[in-house]
Amino acid sequence: MKKDFIHIILADDDEDDRMFFTDAFDELKIGTKVKTFNDGIYLMDYLNSNNCELPHVLFLDLNMPRKSGLECLYEIKANPKFNDIAIAIYSTSASEEDIEKTFVQGANIYIKKPSSFKVLKKVLSEVVTTNWQYHTNGLNKDNFLLRL
Amino acid sequence: MPYRLHKKLWFVKTVVYVCAFVILLVGGMTYKNIQSLSQASNLVTHTYKINVELEQVLSYLKDAETAQRGSIITNDPLYLEPYYSGRDSINNSFAELRELLKNNPTQLNNLKELNKLIDVRIACFQKSFRFSAVSDLGNPVFKENFWAGKQAMDAVRDKVKHMIALENKLLEEQQSELKENLKVTPIFLYMVLLMCLLLMYGAYAKIISNLKKLKKSNIELEMFKESANLSEIVSNYGNWVWNIDENTYIYSDNLYRLLGEEPNAFHPSIENLLKFVHPKDIKKLNKDIKKMMENENLPYTYFRIVQKNGKIRHLKSFAKKVINTDGKKQLIGTTSDVTEEVKSFRLLEEHNLTLERNNKELSAFNYVASHDLQEPLRKIQTFLSRLEEKEAENLSEPGLKYVDRIKTSATRMRLLIDDLLQFSRTNKADKVFEKSNLNLLLEGAKQDLAEAISNEKAIINANEFPIVKVIPFQIQQLFANLIGNSIKYRSLERTPEITITYSKVKASEESNIKKGKKDNYHKITFIDNGIGFDNAYAKKIFVLFNRLHNKDEYSGTGIGLSICKKIIENHKGFIIAKGKPGIGAKFTIYLPAKL
Repeated sequence: MKKDFIHIILADDDEDDRMFFTDAFDELKIGTKVKTFNDGIYLMDYLNSNNCELPHVLFLDLNMPRKSGLECLYEIKANPKFNDIAIAIYSTSASEEDIEKTFVQGANIYIKKPSSFKVLKKVLSEVVTTNWQYHTNGLNKDNFLLRL
Repeated sequence: MPYRLHKKLWFVKTVVYVCAFVILLVGGMTYKNIQSLSQASNLVTHTYKINVELEQVLSYLKDAETAQRGSIITNDPLYLEPYYSGRDSINNSFAELRELLKNNPTQLNNLKELNKLIDVRIACFQKSFRFSAVSDLGNPVFKENFWAGKQAMDAVRDKVKHMIALENKLLEEQQSELKENLKVTPIFLYMVLLMCLLLMYGAYAKIISNLKKLKKSNIELEMFKESANLSEIVSNYGNWVWNIDENTYIYSDNLYRLLGEEPNAFHPSIENLLKFVHPKDIKKLNKDIKKMMENENLPYTYFRIVQKNGKIRHLKSFAKKVINTDGKKQLIGTTSDVTEEVKSFRLLEEHNLTLERNNKELSAFNYVASHDLQEPLRKIQTFLSRLEEKEAENLSEPGLKYVDRIKTSATRMRLLIDDLLQFSRTNKADKVFEKSNLNLLLEGAKQDLAEAISNEKAIINANEFPIVKVIPFQIQQLFANLIGNSIKYRSLERTPEITITYSKVKASEESNIKKGKKDNYHKITFIDNGIGFDNAYAKKIFVLFNRLHNKDEYSGTGIGLSICKKIIENHKGFIIAKGKPGIGAKFTIYLPAKL
């Protein structure tokens, strides 16, 4: 059974967003295991620890104290150990600059946090059920930002 | 001008030399002529004297003859007195003649022969004295003697005549020779002198005209100098010259003034100039001057000076080498006071810095608006959606109504924030003009509005558009805003219909864009059959947050048309609105055909 779980990690400093995130997955009823971290430092500490279970999909908020999502992205992409992790940027803003930077750094998808719980659930299920191995091949800047 | 004057000077010089030479020549010739003339007159006197002496000799002889005859006739020795004195006089005359004729051997010979003839005659006299007319008239010896005397006398007379003729002939020959010389020369000399005078006059005229020209150019030069002085004062610069060969300097009056001194207040030299230079700039300027001396050239150099009153001025110097008419090397330079320029440049830099800071603040604000404001709003909306979904059954009727109201407000706030963000994005500097197919951009705009268009069953008629160099996403935004506007303010009585037409126009033929800087424009017109508006508001509708309707009736934020105007301004074009209440609105946009 354990094998079939999709491992998901979210790094976000906002408590409400973490709650929406876990609530959405609870209601989605997909076999997922969700872990959340309060900022980039906690996240990286966990990923670099020995007993860590590497996630299938990592959701990164960009604007976090101490270590931002972008810094985490640099570190993860610099380490071959994390090659198989699909990275979804999960941010309030969708400025051209942020999209450009994260795309160049090798993130898989950019999600603008939706303002409706219903939409949030739809977005998350879409992202989690995507076969990222396959999706990465056709990745380009136009479909990088998730539109639903 | 100087070169021309130079040439004329050469001409004048030549004329003067030639004239002086001619005058000397004429003087010499005249001297020679006068000498010839006096020689001729001497010749005449000489001949005359000879002739007179000869005539006298003859006359004395005649006197002697007369005396002899008298004594013979009267037998009175008293008559013989002239005979005795005549003998002496003849001798005197002979001495005189010998002296006069010493240069003429022919005549001296003749004179000797004459002497012999006279001796013969006198011998005859001597013999004749022994006879008397009273007693001896019949004596044959007497007769013979007398006859011989007459013959001798005739010979003497002939000789004298011959000698006088010879002398006259000689005189004539010599005189004609002299005359030959004299005949041509006076006219020739006169002509030469006349020519000389003419030449001198020419030279004089030339000198006078040259002087006039010189005076004129002097006046012009003076005026030019004055205007140069004035322009130096007006435009705050001074001139200087470095005579490279002599290593001397000339400073213009205003250069002294730039240094805060009276004109000619000090001897112009590098050392004296350096006394004014700001201590911090001396090293650099010295380096530049050293380079100037080596290269005989001075590219722009900047330095500060400190005037006597302590004021600091910024100066800029520039010089170029020239070779003047005397073939001497000179470095001609100007030094201008650029204090004001430096000041305004500093001011500009400060303004630029402020502007940059403001821009940074603005982008910071953008970020705040886009991120920080959106975040709580998003959460409000998400919580609302959760409330509706999960707690709807726990809420009372009014409670559900309040939730609905909160939702409406939150939606409107999102609209405002999104529009505001879009407006500030149209301000961003990185606008890239690309050749774009306007048809595709219109298609894109229609897709953006696909929901609204299909909901309202709006009809959009459009001409074929050309390919134009624009900022594509902005033009698409513009089209979307204008079409969206027409749909939003549609008339409830009829199906919304939007007609978009295109034409290329000349600025001079369009009354709307008389102020246009370009010649040709693309003109695109959007005409709808919506509610229209009063033309009095035609300009006001483009102002940010300006709305003509209550927000309960129409959901606008008052930003859409401001964005349109901003976009058109980015393209250096024009947008004009016209409306008729209840009938429709017309938006005309003009985009420059060439950027």
